[in-house]
Amino acid sequence: MGEDPETFTQQDIDRSIAYLFPSGLFDKRARPLMKHPDEIFPKQQAVQWGADGRPFHFLFYTGKQSYYSLMHDTVAKVLAAEKQQVLLLSEGPVPQDTKPISLVGSRWLLKEELEELLVETISDHDYARFIQLMERLLSLPNCLSEKDFVQRYRKQLEIQSSKQQVAPLQYDENGVAYSTADGRRKTATCTVLLRDCGSGSISINGRDYLHYFPVLQDREQLMFPFHFLDMLGRFDGQCTVGGGGRSSQAGALRLAISRAMLSFLSEGQVESMRQAGLLTPDPRVKERKKPGQEGARRKFTWKKR
Amino acid sequence: VSASSIGRLVMLFLVRWSRYNPYYLEPEPRKELYNMPETELTTEQKEERELKAVRPIKATTNSTTSSVFNDPVLSKFVNMMMRDGEKILARGILTQTLESLKRKQVEKYHKAPQGKKAEIECNPYAIFHQALENCMPVIGLASIQKGGKFYQVPVPLTDNRRRFLAMKWMITECRDNKNRRTLMYEKLSQELLAAYSKEGNVIKRKHELHKMAESNRAYAHYRWW
Repeated sequence: MGEDPETFTQQDIDRSIAYLFPSGLFDKRARPLMKHPDEIFPKQQAVQWGADGRPFHFLFYTGKQSYYSLMHDTVAKVLAAEKQQVLLLSEGPVPQDTKPISLVGSRWLLKEELEELLVETISDHDYARFIQLMERLLSLPNCLSEKDFVQRYRKQLEIQSSKQQVAPLQYDENGVAYSTADGRRKTATCTVLLRDCGSGSISINGRDYLHYFPVLQDREQLMFPFHFLDMLGRFDGQCTVGGGGRSSQAGALRLAISRAMLSFLSEGQVESMRQAGLLTPDPRVKERKKPGQEGARRKFTWKKR
Repeated sequence: VSASSIGRLVMLFLVRWSRYNPYYLEPEPRKELYNMPETELTTEQKEERELKAVRPIKATTNSTTSSVFNDPVLSKFVNMMMRDGEKILARGILTQTLESLKRKQVEKYHKAPQGKKAEIECNPYAIFHQALENCMPVIGLASIQKGGKFYQVPVPLTDNRRRFLAMKWMITECRDNKNRRTLMYEKLSQELLAAYSKEGNVIKRKHELHKMAESNRAYAHYRWW
């Protein structure tokens, strides 16, 4: 800090504390942030036998007591559901009103997550058997009562459209709404400035898009986002693009335009754009050439001798 | 630890890898499907929508748009005609073919008597699709080895395979059996018109395949799938 430790008075100490800890040493907000003890100390199994040495759980000697007790419970539920089904059928053919549990929007727990839940290690085979059993439970028509039990072993998938970052709309001096966005495809990069003018003219690197892209396919790609949302003549675009070839530049511009349009759209339209594949950056790049081969996939001519 | 169980289950069906994680779903670029109200959807479509809401989607290819003129069959045909990556040339040839088809049909239309005018199809896209459908084989042959010998066994074909064979025959026919001076689009339009009226070399090739399959009916039980 450049201070001399020999001549460090109490005032200097107070000054440094005020600098280093602005809220003071004893403020509640200045307390150190610590993780929850569950995150620091991994879950361990408690001692599973009493003072006399006898284990508590009846399946202790299997080695994986929680796993086998889980399988035991699930099988009991399967048998109960089958018994109920037989009873219902014996009363007479009942129309299938009971809908099975909806599985869309969630997935089974992974093996690692199940291990965490059970606090013991299980093998791949055990995990596969568990999933098979759960699927069997779900295939029975009377499984609605076991919904909570099943949901405990399923993880909800998050809605993908919530991951989209939509920048807020900006306004320039004349009150015209505009937004900017970037796009990339292979080695081409571009930036796009969309203005809500109503002219529909797009200029790329200073030239008109008709001059810059003489090929129809590239112009189709440029107009794809506008055509998809029926906003063909609404926006005025100023784009700068560099790198790549004509096709990748068109692809980069399409992505940038779709991203720039997000600020003008509603949630439903954003979701439909995403499902049309307009918002995903294309990950395909040129595959590298490998040693011992002529190209990425092409091998050298095979000579018998 | 190896890939997740979802990836593991899907990995069984993958033959070659792609840049996308198999978790990604195919995109749907047609815009009419997104404007349908809730009432018109079947349960399968509703489930599909719910599934799409939680899964990431791949990016649409360069040749696909939401335009009415975008046709997946035509795009496939253009890609098959393409050589050395020259998409502009291939697409140009196809456009010229469709134009020449239209010209020929319109000429026929104007020359036809009043009663016959309604029967002449002037839409080149309709002619193309009908011609391809007429060329598609119903059954194919597979080479199966049994007891040291290879037999040509009649086998059912998937829709994709049938379409592929029809397009391949059309293109090879137009490349090989043409006069040095006729251009590709001319020859292609002639073949397409012939196939539309169920004549021509491509239809003949399809019939030959059918005859071979019929003659090899005895070996049909060699198929195990």
